Amino acid sequence: MADATPPAGGAAAAPASAPAPEPKPKVPFSPILLKHINEPGSHTIAHYQARGGYETAKAHIGVTDPGALIKLVDESGLRGRGGAGFPTGKKWSFLAKGTGKPIYLAVNGDESEPGTFKDRYILEKDPHQLVEGVILTCFAIGSKHAFIYLRGEFILGFERLEAAVQEAKAKGFVGKQIFGKDLELTITVVRGAGAYICGEETGMLSSIEGGRGYPKIKPPFPAVSGLFKCPTIVNNVETISAVTHIVKNGAAWHKQWGTEKSPGFKIFCLSGAVKKPGVYEVPLGITMREMIDGYGGGMKDGKKLKAVIPGGLSAPVLTAEMVDKCTLDYESLASLGSMLGSGGITVLDESVDMISAIYNTMRFYHHESCGQCTPCREGTGWLEKVAHRFHHDEGHEGDVELLADIAKNMRGRTICVLADAAAMPMQSYLQHFKGDFLAKVKETPFVEKKRTYRDEISPTAKKLSATGAGPSAMDVGSAEKQ
Amino acid sequence: MSLSQNVPNAGAPAFGPAPVSGATPATRKKEFSPERMAKFHDYAEEYPNKRSALMMTLRLAEEEFGSVTDEGIEIVAELCNMPVAHVLGMVTFYTHYKRPFHGKHRFMVCATLMCALEGNTDAALDQIQAKLGIGPGEKTADGLFSCEKVECLADCDKPPVVQKDNEHFCSMRGAVLDKYIASLLNKEGKVESDYAGKPAVAMDTRVPTIPAHFNFTGESETGARKTENKDPYWQAGQGDLTTKVPAPLATPLTVPVADGVNGGRKPSSNGHKKGGH
Ligand SMILES: Cc1cc2nc3c(=O)[nH]c(=O)nc-3n(C[C@H](O)[C@H](O)[C@H](O)COP(=O)(O)O)c2cc1C
Ligand code: SF4
Repeated sequence: MADATPPAGGAAAAPASAPAPEPKPKVPFSPILLKHINEPGSHTIAHYQARGGYETAKAHIGVTDPGALIKLVDESGLRGRGGAGFPTGKKWSFLAKGTGKPIYLAVNGDESEPGTFKDRYILEKDPHQLVEGVILTCFAIGSKHAFIYLRGEFILGFERLEAAVQEAKAKGFVGKQIFGKDLELTITVVRGAGAYICGEETGMLSSIEGGRGYPKIKPPFPAVSGLFKCPTIVNNVETISAVTHIVKNGAAWHKQWGTEKSPGFKIFCLSGAVKKPGVYEVPLGITMREMIDGYGGGMKDGKKLKAVIPGGLSAPVLTAEMVDKCTLDYESLASLGSMLGSGGITVLDESVDMISAIYNTMRFYHHESCGQCTPCREGTGWLEKVAHRFHHDEGHEGDVELLADIAKNMRGRTICVLADAAAMPMQSYLQHFKGDFLAKVKETPFVEKKRTYRDEISPTAKKLSATGAGPSAMDVGSAEKQ
Repeated sequence: MSLSQNVPNAGAPAFGPAPVSGATPATRKKEFSPERMAKFHDYAEEYPNKRSALMMTLRLAEEEFGSVTDEGIEIVAELCNMPVAHVLGMVTFYTHYKRPFHGKHRFMVCATLMCALEGNTDAALDQIQAKLGIGPGEKTADGLFSCEKVECLADCDKPPVVQKDNEHFCSMRGAVLDKYIASLLNKEGKVESDYAGKPAVAMDTRVPTIPAHFNFTGESETGARKTENKDPYWQAGQGDLTTKVPAPLATPLTVPVADGVNGGRKPSSNGHKKGGH
């Protein structure tokens, strides 16, 4: 499986040849979440406890004030790693209080954003840091029941996480009377079954509730009315795993890396035309060039870089010039009109046909739209169809405008942001690679043929009329196809 | 109702797929094996209500029958207190549950951009086509192997990613893939020439009809079963996830048939006669 991955490089492995001016991290960094993934047996509780695992939970559960824990996470500046980058502490503080209903934690391990494969490593190689994070988070938000939702395709991850939960249960860290305190916690691991939309937080909740993964209208936000109509916190696997380390080491420790507004470290998933694709855990705020040329070892086969998809397939594409200006933090990418998203960086080299790339992208969204909202269900389909025309060098005149118009009208009009996630890449491709589209507009413009629907009789019909049987309505219809 | 016309597996149906399980009440396996039943009870205990155990219970059905069959759907519906239609709706919404129309060995090849770059997806698909004679959406005539394109499998640094049922493979092209296919063929006692170049059949993914023998007793008008439900957040009001029952219509939709008049139709009351020819 994932065994062949090179060890995640830290700042120590920083390249000598990064061309862009390097803003040096304040403090040297070595991987934290991925530190142990290459050690044999790293997924077992024995290994985890040997390196001080569950000590943090032991020290805090039933001892510390939950409010203080929320404050700690808030102060650390941790932002959601699932895509939106919402401050985690702030999300927790929005939780509806005093409703008398149970509070749930739902951990998002759907990882369906194409180009992202970071949670896989945590789940398969080091699941106990996630379990400890869940214990700490549940204590902080006052929840007795956590769900961890994994995509159906994570088979090894599911086995290992379930085993980890059972191991923690056997040790008395999960279950009744955890850590000998009068507290209880159930952790339920749910396996999805292959639907991108179950990564959207409310879609995931619908799926856990035992239905099709239909997203729900917000507000009410899950923090007010989520799973089973109870207050629910939804966080990504990486976010919750980071909580473990932040509670252990403190907010100031977390803030020593990263930028002012994007503190801390993050796992990036590098794929595409680089020499060394893989997962790299780095402090936020390093340059995109350092990621590609340093950690990624530069472009494969000496090809030139054409474009970069910086944050999973739904992030607007960056051109080569933008890549030079880009640093890996939420603000820099937002200022370039894109987003950090889930941290899945895909590098496209000069040989990539951007039109085929956008067609593939649109096909993905059309396939994965859940179909509840018309602008999304139809819009993704239209975008795919028109992109398909370009893909076959048969673009019509005015199709570029048509694509722009469809994309514009999909945004902000739907239940969830999948429609935006499909429209954003299309808009960015149209903006930066308009020439590629125009080059594929067919030379001879499409002209609708005049059809009378009456005088064209099929050979069968002719034969029939020769025998005196006369053409039937069906034969006239089939003349169209011949 | 038309349901009663769907006699399970009474020869090939003229139109529409036959109920897949084809199990009649007499032959239907009523329950999961004891250890799967125990697993289900674990779920039912852990989840706030039985409906939410559906995702995992369907996996049990998949294990029990090798794929999510009609029979499995019925059992899951019964266990989870949900209408068969709801469970069928879930099974067709999600793409990863194995269905009876898939081959015994189900190849899933990632076709999303990261894998498709540099022709990786096509390479894997071409190899499967060459060795097993099946393209995406097809299965071998004996139903042993099937192939389909799927979306991102989250291992994008090592394309192409291929899953075969519950096995996950990275960089699955060239010699690695050939060797794996050979080992599968060997396991099945087949050789390449059994499939290569032979015609394949398309997977019939149409939704089967609900078997006629399915027992609907106990379902209310909405289809939700009336049963004890211990969960307070599930009951009406707070956690009410089922739709409301529409009020019964004042006039029934079906018009009584009068013999011999207008081919079985009554003349309309306002005297206006339609379709004189
Ligand atoms: C279409 C769509 C797909 C998403 N897929 C994922 C996913 O696979 N994994 C994930 O963690 N978040 C995903 N998200 C983001 C979640 O909705 C949510 O913001 C996130 O899980 C919150 O966790 P965080 O605050 O820790 O980032 C997706 C969002 C959308 C709109
Ligand atoms: S935007 Fe698309 S995916 Fe999201 S709820 Fe609407 S139809 Fe479903």
